[in-house]
Amino acid sequence: MSSHRLSPQPGEVIDRGRSFTFRWNASPFAAYDGDTIVSALAASGERVFSRSLKYHRRRGLLTGDFNDPNGMVTADGEPNVRAAHRLVRPGMSVSSQDTWPSLRFDVKAANQLVGRFLGPGFYYKTFMRPQRLWPAYDGVLARFAHGGHAPTAADGDRYDQRYVHPDVLVAGGGPAGMAAAIAAADAGARVLLVEEEHHLGGHLRWGESSDLESLRAAVDAAGIEVLTDAVVTGRYDGNWVSVLQRSAPGATPHFRERLVKARAKHLILAPGLLDRPYVVGGNDLPGVMLSTAVRRLVNLYAVRPGDRAVVLTANASGDAAVADLTRAGVEVARVLDARQGEDIARIRGRSGVRAVECSDGSVVDCDLVVTAVGWTTPLTLATVSGARAEFRPEAARFVPVGLPDDVSATGGIVGDGSLDELLDHATAVGREAARRAARSAVALAAGNPHARVAAAPESFAVDIPDLRPAEHPMLFLGRTDGIVDFSEDVSAKDLKSAVHEGYDSLELAKRYTTATMGPSQGKLEAVNSIAAVAAASGAGFAATGTTTGRPPYVPVSLGALAGRSHQLLRRSPLQAWHEANGATPLYAGSWIRPDHYGDAAAEVRAVRENVGIIDVTPLGKFDLRGPDVPDLLELLYVNKWRKLAVGSVRYGVMCAEDGVVLDDGVTGRLGPEHYLMTTTSSGADAAHDWMERWLQTERRDWQVHVTPVTANYASINVAGPRSRDLLSRLTDVDLTPDAFGYMRVRTGTVGGIADCVVWRIGFTGELSFEVHVPAGHGVLVWEALLAAGADLGVRPFGIEAQRILRLEKGHLIVGQDTDGLTQAYGAALDWAVKLDKPDFVGKPELLWQQIRDDHLRLVGLQPVDGAVVPPEASQIVEDGTRIVGRITSSRMSPTLDRAVCLGLVAPHLSTAGTTVTVRLPGGGSLQARVLPQLAHVDPEGVRLRA
Amino acid sequence: MPSLVDSSSLAKVLVRASPDLGDSMGVHFGLSTRDPSGALVVGYGYGEWLVLASPDSAGDVVHRFEGRPYDGLRSVIDVTHGYAVLRLTGTDAAELLSRLCPIDLSDEVTPTGAVFRSVVGGLSVGVIRDDEAGEPSYLLVVDRSYGQSLSDMLGDAGGEFALAYVRPPLPGM
Repeated sequence: MSSHRLSPQPGEVIDRGRSFTFRWNASPFAAYDGDTIVSALAASGERVFSRSLKYHRRRGLLTGDFNDPNGMVTADGEPNVRAAHRLVRPGMSVSSQDTWPSLRFDVKAANQLVGRFLGPGFYYKTFMRPQRLWPAYDGVLARFAHGGHAPTAADGDRYDQRYVHPDVLVAGGGPAGMAAAIAAADAGARVLLVEEEHHLGGHLRWGESSDLESLRAAVDAAGIEVLTDAVVTGRYDGNWVSVLQRSAPGATPHFRERLVKARAKHLILAPGLLDRPYVVGGNDLPGVMLSTAVRRLVNLYAVRPGDRAVVLTANASGDAAVADLTRAGVEVARVLDARQGEDIARIRGRSGVRAVECSDGSVVDCDLVVTAVGWTTPLTLATVSGARAEFRPEAARFVPVGLPDDVSATGGIVGDGSLDELLDHATAVGREAARRAARSAVALAAGNPHARVAAAPESFAVDIPDLRPAEHPMLFLGRTDGIVDFSEDVSAKDLKSAVHEGYDSLELAKRYTTATMGPSQGKLEAVNSIAAVAAASGAGFAATGTTTGRPPYVPVSLGALAGRSHQLLRRSPLQAWHEANGATPLYAGSWIRPDHYGDAAAEVRAVRENVGIIDVTPLGKFDLRGPDVPDLLELLYVNKWRKLAVGSVRYGVMCAEDGVVLDDGVTGRLGPEHYLMTTTSSGADAAHDWMERWLQTERRDWQVHVTPVTANYASINVAGPRSRDLLSRLTDVDLTPDAFGYMRVRTGTVGGIADCVVWRIGFTGELSFEVHVPAGHGVLVWEALLAAGADLGVRPFGIEAQRILRLEKGHLIVGQDTDGLTQAYGAALDWAVKLDKPDFVGKPELLWQQIRDDHLRLVGLQPVDGAVVPPEASQIVEDGTRIVGRITSSRMSPTLDRAVCLGLVAPHLSTAGTTVTVRLPGGGSLQARVLPQLAHVDPEGVRLRA
Repeated sequence: MPSLVDSSSLAKVLVRASPDLGDSMGVHFGLSTRDPSGALVVGYGYGEWLVLASPDSAGDVVHRFEGRPYDGLRSVIDVTHGYAVLRLTGTDAAELLSRLCPIDLSDEVTPTGAVFRSVVGGLSVGVIRDDEAGEPSYLLVVDRSYGQSLSDMLGDAGGEFALAYVRPPLPGM
């Protein structure tokens, strides 16, 4: 393995004082700090880094940067790493992708033998029939999917997000971007400068440049925030700009990727230009490189890219590459000057470049072919900002036209010139950007109550000097067929064939051949695709148009989109106690709750026989105040509220306009114009929105304040026949039945804590009191209850026990025993619906439901075989297959020692005593009988009202 | 080095009325001010004020505001137990918050006294800039049930800035 490392080069970015080894396909290789994976491998003489998508042809370095389609590898288990961009690090393990048994001898290269049968549309045409084999085709074709394998282990790396608000964001850290940033900052703007490469400077980095040092020093002095190894991936309305920032392992702070969300007052596009490949026979052989790739290798990484070169040049970049190669000791065997009409006819070779057939018929032996045939303008950010791409034939490239007022462009994307001309243009653009940003700041401050008045911007726009694209020969398709899309293995011949098959628009041909749809996303191949389609269709370049660029400009990981991994949980003030006392957690909506403390059945029995306490803090709670609260309750609940007395509590059901049950709960009247409402835990936010919607849109004249106070209270339900005995030991509230009857509310002191709200209700079906304690004292009262009730057999019970208890009692849960179609009558709430009220939300639909009387009905069900509990959601069927209902809730009842259920059934099956058939998920079925009521335990409510 | 202090023990009283009440409250939506008693009166929403006062003074604050003459509907509610309050202080405080909060925290846009409600790490949080001794300082007000989650998120984001907990979160916060 010969070394291609050159002696130190001016401007090189490697640190020769820090060398190490890494592994490439299991073999050790040397590298310097600052090397990319590809530069380190190239320095060791490696020329092949991947195999192509379809034909598995050998592929070598092409662009030498992030966009290189031939440098996709797996690094330390991470697939699809851009090896020409990713910095190598000590001990890194890098391997080629989708090659077997090895990169050098790849079995799938046999596809080249049948390549003539694998043209565009091959899959569509070949795997259509018979349809029954689609699953088999799918399995086979999946094996040919390109790219690396997704790791199976969890990604433990860190992803991050950050919000920034620069006045001016500059996308591109070449000389024009730097100059624009400096000018904007000098004009007083806060500037964020974003550069995709690891260092600022663009092409000025290639060789010694005093201009570069001056610009870098000015960037530092101007206080500009610089993000390198970062890319602007998209621009959205209001200059919401997304930036993907990468970070090397070991960097501080460390994150693999960070999504920076920037709200920029002005965006400057300075992405430079992309060297465009030449489409000619053999253009994908290892050893064919773009001029900029060669310049990178020589100048940044001190790597000799070959031994004997042929250079096709049509511009200064190609000329500079010749100079670089000569300086690096490469024999430049032939320079073909396209400006003089010279051309390459074909590139010869099998595993790599061997020779070039020139347009004059001569053949030159070589191992390196360098092309500089023109530029592609990266227009995605401009077009997503609203500009259109206009083709300039004299320059053989597109330019952006019609940028919005808050987006500017400078540098190569606009035009060419000397370095001074570029810097002058960029400086003017930067100043003007700062002026417009200041103008925006003034406008924004006008609507901001706390903003300080921004400085008044300059009155007059800055004169921007002219910058035009230089003339350049049109060089897209050569004399022989070559690869257009290196990512997708699409040739010019493929595109021609697609056009001839009728896919004669660019967008159709693109989708038929998949040209521009690979990882490069059109950056290298879009213009050549246009040229191929234009040539085949005869439509001409301008008429053929362009493909549509969309964000993101580069791939963004799901990790970066997700950001930091946070589990947003709501916790009751008692949650720590639950965890410390062995509760099994239950994630219920946004809350974490105790499911049980080890034995839910025992907890049920404790409540039925003695007393239990449960943390019901998540219940939605709302403080309602104002003279019109009764009107609000009358409107939103289906039952009546006007006569609710102070000190009383009532159960209510809310329905939507379509009569579907939204929520339920109890509301107590604490004072003449003061109420406390509870809702379901999961429905609290929706209920709040519902109330505010009506108050803010339909009943704006009503005097009502709705204030959420869910977290203000720790809520504890004390339930069981001995609950009165227990609570009376801790409260000054008179709990005797005469003084404190069922569905009444009182306020008082509990456990020494004042301002508690106590109401007597009974979700569990037992005598019970719900105590709402100021949250900070929740643990104190909870522990006081446990201590005071030790002799009464008190124990905490969790959600599972509560669910069993309420099911035994036949109390429904909205959202479980109802669904998005269940209207009030279907939920067996006939008793609550008061159609004689003048109006309430949902009344017309409920009236119609009552008349129709064809709805599913919620009923109590008991399996005939009481030992079998049908799973919830089991279907109730008729005639073997016809679905006529389902089980909504089911449990084994510890009280009855048998299975109990609630279910929705068709009307003709809802009569008490009817036997229905329940289909079990395993394939069997069981019989269940309909009860005359929902309750399985204490249907008369004797225990509840004890 | 920024610091994070659990200030949940502060008394918190919510006053709701017509937005016109702002004149007598001394502050309107989006701004905050200290009243003569030293309480921080926060224009917390449209027709909504949050008063932050010394611990155990909620009853006095409620009494004081209920005692003021007012013709329309006014609710004065002790929400001391309903909100967790964290104070984030330090020169890097804004940069730390920028990891979680999309609002421009620059001095020009959100100077001391500024109030807004926004998303902080996915949570709905009231943010009150209340500088202390010349250092940027933010009071973060969140539903008590989310207090631990907010604290955890700030701790995670603050690792980069060597965030110091001056006092650990209250148990069960």
